Amino acid sequence: MARYLARRLNLFFATSLVLFVVMFSVTAKFPVDHTVALTGIHAPTAEEQASINEAYRLDKGQVSQFIAYLEQRLSGNLGISVTSQNPVFNELTAVLSASFELAFVAGAIALLLGIPLGVLASLSKHKITQHTIMAITLTGYSIPVFWLGLSLSLWFGVRLGWLPISGQINLLYEIKPVTGFLLIDILLWDSRYAWSAFVDALQHIVLPAVTLAVLPFTVVVRITRSAMMSIMEKTYIKAAEARGLRTYTIVMRHALPNAFIPVLKNLGLMLGAFASYAIVVEVIFSWPGVGAWLVSGIYQRDYTVIQGGILAVALIIIFLSILIEVLHTAINPLSRKELYAAH
Amino acid sequence: MPPIKIYQVGHIPSPLRRIWNAFTDNPFAFAGFWAICCLILLALFGPLIAPFSAAHQDPQALLLPPSWDPAGTVEHFLGTDDLGRDIFSRLLHGAHLTFGMALAIVATALVIGFVIGSISGMMTGLKSSILSHLLDALLSIPSLLMAILVVAVTGPGLSNVFWAVGIALTPQFVRAIHQAVHEELQKEYVTAARLDGANPLQIFWYVILPNILDTMIIQTTLGISAAILDIAALGFLNLGAQAPSPEWGAMVAQGLDNLLTAPWTVTIPGVAILCCVLAINLVGDGLRSALSPIRH
Amino acid sequence: MPLLDIRNLTIELDTPHGRVKALERVSLTLNPGEIHGLLGESGSGRTLLAKAIMGIPGHNWTIQADRMMWDGQNLLDMSTKARRALMGSEMAMIFQDPISSLDPTIVVGVQIIEAMPENKALPWWRREQDKRKTARQWLHKVGIKETQKVMSSYAWELSDGECQKVMIAIAVANQPRLLIADEPTNSMEVRTQAQIFRLLSKLNQLHNVSILLISHELENLSLWCDRLSVMYSGQIMESGPTADVIAQPYHPYTKAILDNIPDYSNPELHKTMMQTLRGSAPSLQHQPIGCRLGPRCPQAQKHCVNQPKLSHHKDRYFACHFPYYNEPSHDEPLTKS
Repeated sequence: MARYLARRLNLFFATSLVLFVVMFSVTAKFPVDHTVALTGIHAPTAEEQASINEAYRLDKGQVSQFIAYLEQRLSGNLGISVTSQNPVFNELTAVLSASFELAFVAGAIALLLGIPLGVLASLSKHKITQHTIMAITLTGYSIPVFWLGLSLSLWFGVRLGWLPISGQINLLYEIKPVTGFLLIDILLWDSRYAWSAFVDALQHIVLPAVTLAVLPFTVVVRITRSAMMSIMEKTYIKAAEARGLRTYTIVMRHALPNAFIPVLKNLGLMLGAFASYAIVVEVIFSWPGVGAWLVSGIYQRDYTVIQGGILAVALIIIFLSILIEVLHTAINPLSRKELYAAH
Repeated sequence: MPPIKIYQVGHIPSPLRRIWNAFTDNPFAFAGFWAICCLILLALFGPLIAPFSAAHQDPQALLLPPSWDPAGTVEHFLGTDDLGRDIFSRLLHGAHLTFGMALAIVATALVIGFVIGSISGMMTGLKSSILSHLLDALLSIPSLLMAILVVAVTGPGLSNVFWAVGIALTPQFVRAIHQAVHEELQKEYVTAARLDGANPLQIFWYVILPNILDTMIIQTTLGISAAILDIAALGFLNLGAQAPSPEWGAMVAQGLDNLLTAPWTVTIPGVAILCCVLAINLVGDGLRSALSPIRH
Repeated sequence: MPLLDIRNLTIELDTPHGRVKALERVSLTLNPGEIHGLLGESGSGRTLLAKAIMGIPGHNWTIQADRMMWDGQNLLDMSTKARRALMGSEMAMIFQDPISSLDPTIVVGVQIIEAMPENKALPWWRREQDKRKTARQWLHKVGIKETQKVMSSYAWELSDGECQKVMIAIAVANQPRLLIADEPTNSMEVRTQAQIFRLLSKLNQLHNVSILLISHELENLSLWCDRLSVMYSGQIMESGPTADVIAQPYHPYTKAILDNIPDYSNPELHKTMMQTLRGSAPSLQHQPIGCRLGPRCPQAQKHCVNQPKLSHHKDRYFACHFPYYNEPSHDEPLTKS
């Protein structure tokens, strides 16, 4: 197991290194001055230019430049934003937590609703129930997310006026950032308005989270259903039936844990698409997350922001997908079997 | 006189025939198939049958609702937008931008992915693992971010969308084919063929290729729907097709200003994208279930 | 009264080629305390019969029967819940492939404990402990020495024989009256095979468990079984006490199987042709009408296109119009007996 973990860690570093190489070579291709692309400082003074040259070793060869680039980026120096003149790193930490909050709520909705519905679809004998669930998931899978977001905000936000359609919280509330996660911060907030602020923040998160949850929800339903269908035909389920166990016990103890394994695997594969959707959702609902920040960065040709955002998102995705793989191995004894067989 | 058949002759259909039969047995998948055929025709000949040109502006008919609305007219079947352009005609003109370009991108990505994927899949050792790390790194950049990166380098524009989505999509194809080839290589029948003295090229062509075709087909349908959604999303974010273009995602973005007064300018292109992707996913789903008895 | 009495059981499967009769009018009687052998090639519907008795049908099955009596109750009239309860307590089954009949993601011990009967006399917090103890006792009884190690292993970490012993322990823990053993020794080495058979026979003698032993090997069945039924292509060919059936088979199919066993006793007969039936067993969707052995049978005549009724002579049953049996066969209906 230790050897396996070491290999995964190695994979993480190797993949991240490749990512940095890609980003480094793309940085050189940006249609602005190389120093601006690296630091975001427009028209640097001679002193600044000299320190930039030294930090990024611009007078040396490509390899040494890359190492310098790596050192700067890993030490948290992502340059400054051209538009706001703030360090990109600070902006990034602020927007990342908002994005995490949205992604977490959306993911929770998808899993909590998706798995039971998938099980239901697999166990249902009625053709109509099955077809309905499949039709819903297929539509959810095909729907363009920006259009879904617009329609939802048009109906629930404007026509019915139930829910707010933009932002993370009403601007009247001024929450002191402690953890960076707004919902947690509000709970930590010592004020008599804390409860109303919490409700307001919850109302704000409903529409974007539901819009974002549609894709993972449909994927989870489909994978759970197909995994359950194939597992329910397995011999060990028949054997459990022959042991006289109740169907509920069989599903909860034998079928579901086995069905969850492919679901987990597909969650890892879905991360990229999920992040793409999150960007669009954040733009539509003006959610102050990494996606909206990135897109505004590209409208303003803010190359340090683009770089920093892409690096952060890609690193997180690499990390999460390796984490999911490790989890997959940890909870799935069968993949451990393959591990032993391989070595 | 035809010979009298005494015995019932058991006829075993060919694998291709069986896939086709299983596919046509599923009415939804078959409907999707016809819808895609129509879409391909529209992408090719749409501009010829469109009643107006994409840029034709009718100042007499601004924000006209669709024809089923009491205020609508039949001339502008799906209504008009804020510049008096006929939405129906623009949809027809946009079909080859959204759907046609998606097909072109996927075809390119498939060819490149097939070549790189099968070469890397057949390789073993260090070279193969370096390549798979590279692919992992590229895959970890979400397709939309990759497209944003490309747009950041080249600037927005329709032709850049091709590169942006293509570069985002190709690693997925390479990865899928690489893995399929790699998995096939572990199978016993490949070893058997190798023991028979087949060289790597023969093994690839006669043993592995027929067994990875299903992966390629499924990946292609997934790729097309992903490409359409990406093109439309880029158009919507104003990073792809620019304002007057009748690309469907861009049409949604242009309708955004009038979302409250004229929701059809947003709804109708959105429904067009939905139907298009839905048809492809129906076919993909049908193909997957038709292929599944062969895969397992 | 027989423990299990099945009359004219027909199972139809919905396949892509249409509806296929996989089992056709199968009758089977099983007395309490006997080991009943069910002999047949793979594909002859033995597993279907076993699963139908057990009550775990596949999703595309249609089951019809005149009656399926279990100790005086008709199984066909029972609700799913009652069947499930019966499965837990009175019937048990062990499967062909023991490794795949254990859940791969849960350790074996949990699955054994799950199947142990609850001791209602104990307070609830001590029942789990008690179940664990009974589980270890049963594992000991089926011949596993390192119970702790086996219980904390996953199914794929054990050998075929160990898994099958675990399956037997699970099956007999509830003290069932009938144990269906579907090819319990498939793909096992001879030593393990002998262990398993000895274990089953011991269970039969000590706990009076009736066993329906399904196999394709006549040698093994003839060693361990009291009675024998022979199946071919979803029809019962012949049934009777093992010794009698082997001494004088009535049905051409049984005779063909017996002829298949090579005879080493006579050195002069060395290198003679092996006696086999012509052709091979037909596929499921191309079964002949009437007696399904018809096209391959050395005794077949025009009359064989009608399915022969199961006739009986003393305690032997056979379904053949022209049995190897010198008295004229009277097609007496079986119900008289």
